[in-house]
Amino acid sequence: MIEANGLTKVYGAKTAVAGVSFTVRAGQVTGFLGPNGAGKSTTMRMIMGLDRPTSGSVTVNGLPYVRHKAPLREVGALLDAKAVHTSRSAYNHLLAMAATHSIPKSRVHEVIEMTGLDAVARKKAGGFSLGMGQRLGIAAALLGDPQTLILDEPVNGLDPEGVVWVRNLVRYLAGQGRTVFLSSHLMSEMAQTADHLIVIGRGRVIADAPIRDIITGKGQSRVRVRTDDPDRLYQLLAARGASIEVPERELLEVTGLEPRTIAGAALENRVMVYELTPLVASLEEAYMELTKDDVEYHSLPAAEVSK
Amino acid sequence: MSSMATESTPLPEPAPSTAGSLRKNGGRSLPGPTFIRVLNSEVIKFRSLLSTLILIASTAVVMVGFGALSAWGTGQFAGAATRDTQAAARMAAQGGDLAVSVPTSGIAFAQLILGSLGVLLMSSEFTTGMARSTFAAVPRRLPAFAAKLVVVMVTSFVVTAVSTWVAGLVAVPILDNYGLKLDLGSSQSVKLLLVNSIYVAAVAAIGMALGTLIRNSAGGIMSLVGIFFVAPIAFQLIPGDFFKEARKYLPGNTVEPLTAAQHVPDTLEAWQAGLVLGVWVVVPILFAAILLKRRDV
Repeated sequence: MIEANGLTKVYGAKTAVAGVSFTVRAGQVTGFLGPNGAGKSTTMRMIMGLDRPTSGSVTVNGLPYVRHKAPLREVGALLDAKAVHTSRSAYNHLLAMAATHSIPKSRVHEVIEMTGLDAVARKKAGGFSLGMGQRLGIAAALLGDPQTLILDEPVNGLDPEGVVWVRNLVRYLAGQGRTVFLSSHLMSEMAQTADHLIVIGRGRVIADAPIRDIITGKGQSRVRVRTDDPDRLYQLLAARGASIEVPERELLEVTGLEPRTIAGAALENRVMVYELTPLVASLEEAYMELTKDDVEYHSLPAAEVSK
Repeated sequence: MSSMATESTPLPEPAPSTAGSLRKNGGRSLPGPTFIRVLNSEVIKFRSLLSTLILIASTAVVMVGFGALSAWGTGQFAGAATRDTQAAARMAAQGGDLAVSVPTSGIAFAQLILGSLGVLLMSSEFTTGMARSTFAAVPRRLPAFAAKLVVVMVTSFVVTAVSTWVAGLVAVPILDNYGLKLDLGSSQSVKLLLVNSIYVAAVAAIGMALGTLIRNSAGGIMSLVGIFFVAPIAFQLIPGDFFKEARKYLPGNTVEPLTAAQHVPDTLEAWQAGLVLGVWVVVPILFAAILLKRRDV
């Protein structure tokens, strides 16, 4: 279990993480989703004691990472596929990591085999492709057979088979009761892997909920309503606490009320409604919706770029 | 590549220790990073880099090469030396014995190479990103720093001592040709070997401190060169008593008083020199350790 409490990291004038609190539970895959620059990696580095929080704290299984007696056996982390000396072979890298915790050589061979690195284990890590580097990083994370795994963008640069392999691996590990905390900037990846989702944007937690709730936009249900008396219906629904957008005449988009409540209100007041459509956002839309105000780097529409 | 991808598709077998149920203790009773284990890890890291081995080999080659060259030169000019004021001073420092300092004539290069090795071993951790792995495994950080310091200093000492000794073995027959005697077992010979080896270990430690503080290979090596090669020359060129006096306190000028058979004018006393060199090692190492512990990786 990972518990962050008011975690904040300020670099000079820039606040990378702004008072983040969350809990990552054992036995499930928790996704950490956010656009690039949202503060995912910084948060993970703070969990691992590599970056010192400006304020706030974070513990793993009840203790700050630094205070664990056998940290690699407690938490395995892939923070960066390139956290390896470029001139050292993958095998020697793992061997040196293992030596700090008296992890036997047999386990080094085991993780090399698990991650499919057998053929390149004796080659310099500097020559690895991004995908190979990811596999080496995952091998290092698994070395101590840890109860908690932290993986920062593990599928980056992996081929489709590798992506499926990582997906199965983390599901398998969570199934054993381990804590798995996995970051990505791709909603579609999370949809297929995570049970629970923490969405972060500009250093703040935007959503923290089971993935099913985020997909269906629970509590944020939107309904499209067409009526020939939009002004009257607007007032009626606004009075019931809905937030309403009016994209065109005779069309309302209502957030915060169930379709049944809207129909009831219309019926009582004899307002004719000729369309009532619950809008289920796709995952991608839900994510965009959640983060649209929190994206640090906006891009121009394609049409404007080509101008 | 494609064959590798297929090899990796099967799911990993659960490790024997976790088969079945969950560990209650989260592995807290299993071995963690003690100093000996971290030292072992640093030794593995040290010997698994080709660049390290190349630097060590070149130190040996340079030391032995300069020893042989110096033996030949000393023999050739032994007669002329008495008329050369500089050589006469050197001779006086060794109690009139020129041959005894022959095995350590390459020491300036040994200190440069092994000092750079000290810089590189730490700076490369940061430039390659390895530091994140190192300090994730040893989050208290200082055991890893201390272990690396031990590896750097012991290696530098042993490499310098062994190559000085081999340089001596090579020099003896050459000097013999010119009728000069070099006794490698004499107390002055042993003193030169030990002091120079300790000195090079100290330079390597300073290099490692610089590598930790600057975290950049080029910057660290340039600083090292600045302290050991540029500063002594610059201090000599700048007029004024202050720089003449300050020059004595540069770490590179502590070897001569430490090895001289008799006190050389314009240098520190031996005990002062030892103290000054100690301060030059301890202060940067302390700074490096404190900052390493505090800074983000």
